[in-house]
Amino acid sequence: MFKKLSTTQRNLALALFFLVAIFLLGHFVGPYNQNQIAVALTLFVGVLSINILTGLSGQLSLGQSALMAIGGYSCGLIMTKLHISMWLAIPLSAISAGLAGLLLGAVAAKLSGPYLAGTTLVLALALPTVANKFESIFGGESGISIDTGTPPSWLISILGDISFEEWQILVTLPFAVLALYVSANLFSSRSGRSWRAVRDHESAASLMGINVARTKVLVFIISSAFAGIAGALYGLRGLVGTSVYPIALSLSLLTGSILGGMRSLLGAGIGSVVIVFLPDWIGKLASPFHFPDQVTNYLPGLATGLLLVLTVVINPGGIASSVYALLAHLRSKKSPVDRK
Amino acid sequence: MQTFLNALFTGGSRGAIYALVALGLVLVWRGAGLINFAQMGQAMFSAYVASTLITKGFNYWVAFFAALIVGAILGAAIDILVIRPLKKKSGTAILGSPSMRDAIPVIASLGILGILQSVAGMIWAGSERGFPAPVSTVALKVGTNTMPFTFFDLFTIGVVILILIATSLFLSRTSVGLAMRASALNSEVARLSGIRTRSIRTLGWIISGAVASVAGLLVTPATNISPSSLDLILIIGFTACVIGGLDSLLGAVVGGFLLGFVIAFISAYDLPEDIFIAIFLILIGIMYVRPQGLFGSQVSRRV
Amino acid sequence: MLQIKNISVAYDSVQAVDQISFTAEKGRITTVIGANGAGKTTLLRTISGLITPKSGIITWSGREIQGMRAENIVRAGIAQAPEGHSVIAELTVEENIRMGALFRLRTNRADVSTAIAECYELFPRLHERKSQKAGTLSGGERQMLAISRALVSRPELLLLDEPSLGLAPLIVEQIIDTVSILCREKGLTVLLVEQNANTALAIADHGVLLALGKVVADMPAAQLRADESLRAAYLGY
Repeated sequence: MFKKLSTTQRNLALALFFLVAIFLLGHFVGPYNQNQIAVALTLFVGVLSINILTGLSGQLSLGQSALMAIGGYSCGLIMTKLHISMWLAIPLSAISAGLAGLLLGAVAAKLSGPYLAGTTLVLALALPTVANKFESIFGGESGISIDTGTPPSWLISILGDISFEEWQILVTLPFAVLALYVSANLFSSRSGRSWRAVRDHESAASLMGINVARTKVLVFIISSAFAGIAGALYGLRGLVGTSVYPIALSLSLLTGSILGGMRSLLGAGIGSVVIVFLPDWIGKLASPFHFPDQVTNYLPGLATGLLLVLTVVINPGGIASSVYALLAHLRSKKSPVDRK
Repeated sequence: MQTFLNALFTGGSRGAIYALVALGLVLVWRGAGLINFAQMGQAMFSAYVASTLITKGFNYWVAFFAALIVGAILGAAIDILVIRPLKKKSGTAILGSPSMRDAIPVIASLGILGILQSVAGMIWAGSERGFPAPVSTVALKVGTNTMPFTFFDLFTIGVVILILIATSLFLSRTSVGLAMRASALNSEVARLSGIRTRSIRTLGWIISGAVASVAGLLVTPATNISPSSLDLILIIGFTACVIGGLDSLLGAVVGGFLLGFVIAFISAYDLPEDIFIAIFLILIGIMYVRPQGLFGSQVSRRV
Repeated sequence: MLQIKNISVAYDSVQAVDQISFTAEKGRITTVIGANGAGKTTLLRTISGLITPKSGIITWSGREIQGMRAENIVRAGIAQAPEGHSVIAELTVEENIRMGALFRLRTNRADVSTAIAECYELFPRLHERKSQKAGTLSGGERQMLAISRALVSRPELLLLDEPSLGLAPLIVEQIIDTVSILCREKGLTVLLVEQNANTALAIADHGVLLALGKVVADMPAAQLRADESLRAAYLGY
């Protein structure tokens, strides 16, 4: 029955399944894990932005943290100065980040490889200093504090008491699901295919009639909108400030994308889970050794760097690609004739 | 006037350091086709080693050369352990795509940077360390006049110019230098000529690592190194490369000095916070106006 | 003597070279001819070590060399003047030639300068231009340069990839004659890949005709030249 649905319908089913599954999960775990789930959902949107930009169209950008900052600050300013509800502010932040993506993409379309990476890296470092400059608007180092408000009473009457952390999940979940649905459609659409063509074979793509520059900019805009949403959600944990969006955030997202798998939704999901839960796992692995504090502080960083290098060298497709390869292998064993 | 001269000479000596960083980046770019974002991580690590040696009572110059060796070894290790396996895999699915072939080594070098910073943090974080200057950093006095520069400024500029000349002569006059240039320009033809391009490439990483270490030592102030203290230097060095043209050694040097002056003047007359913004604007400007850099060749921008 | 036995090379799923076997006798000129895409360049690249064959054995002077690294094959005495006269434009003529001898500096330093001098004798035009960047050379001069770079490594087997490509007939004749003299006077074994079958068969001792990656004919050059049906079918004249 599943096979009879169209791709869009299948993606919708996937998104709904995700919605229900995460909601149930979030409802039944404790506050610490709930917070992690909320962050994971946020970073999921962020990693998706990288999978779209780099995985689908091949443009490596280290500037996601800057775009997230733009999204976050937009959301904060809209909510505090214009007193607009959070539910409206977040999509508006996507638009403002998308506009920034338009500007950045216009420049980026002319660049490739290390030039693009280096330029976006400098941008990611330069943007926070802009925020520091215009302290009156941006709140400087201390930033803007945002209040996510309290869950509406009708919801409490259905679910019972909702902790702050669970409310975080309930706020981020709809947007994560929406991002999932949109990405799923993008990945399987004709646009997705033309983006892959740009990624793999620019000259051939342009001969086929694809406007390479415009495609690259378009992907940048979409990816930036995603990053903007992620940034807004990230800031909704309470604060939008320059220290909230450091360059390390860009690197985290990139790491998650590579580790999980740059070319699929599953990869983005795995990647965001790994980023969020890795410090805990490392902590648990290391605790029997009783390392001094100095070592444990840097252990997650070391693990991340090592995993990144090992993944890139041994399995550049990430965990998701291994999963898909395994599935394909099993499927081919079942029906050796019936292969597309 | 005094401010101006001060800025000029500070710009000169800092520019010399940026020129060194850019030189290291160009060497690896030409030899291996990637930007080594981990380069200043190597430098940071070797600066820590040198600092530790000095604290244990070793002679300044012993520590200095130990740092060079550490930087060189790290460079060789990165090439042999990471870059070679990557090159071998370049036929496979993900790496078959040209945009990924550019992107993957960048990501790998960022990972290496993370490793270096973490390990350095584990070993040394928390201890306040610095690497002293070998000569006076106080403003020079000639007769009764105070010069706008220090002996250290002169020392820095002198060392850098020496290294630049040595590298240039090495590449243009020696057989190994010829092998390096040939391998960088066309590695297939080089291999068909019997040149061991893999080893030559490792040599490029070794030289680049040593050069970066010198830059790291010269720039580290006497009081504090931290695992991320050299990150800014890398960004500036990278920008210098882009300004000069990624495949031009001369361009790297010119770019380095140019940026040195710009930054020094911004710091002297404006807010130091504007540095990143200024760098960003310069970067964008150059890429818009002259994407191959001041001295780079047209082809190299890899369209 | 170079022996190719059942060599097969594949790119992804395309079979570029399919079970090729032939022998290039020592001190003789063997030519491999065939249309574009017949697999000739792939074959040369495989012999030179740039490609590892899927299967098969290449024997040189009694040693198996398939799968050896390119740098080592040069040291085993096999040098190639590759397709497209691939000289390095940014280096000077002298540097391009010297490149080929660098690996001999440790073992035979004195002979390196002699070898370079011999190339200049062979191709005086190169000597005139020795400090010029190779990018400024004409097509014929570049081909001479590519051959010089190969010769300066004192090879026992010289592989030539389509030396006549894009060159005027007079220049081609000059170059081919030079190669022929090298073979006859110095006992150099030559494997000449050519699209211009006529020219190649005129100086070769032995001819191997390739089509779509397979050997179609393997016989003395004069015989191959005289065989009209083969010529009509595969060489178009």
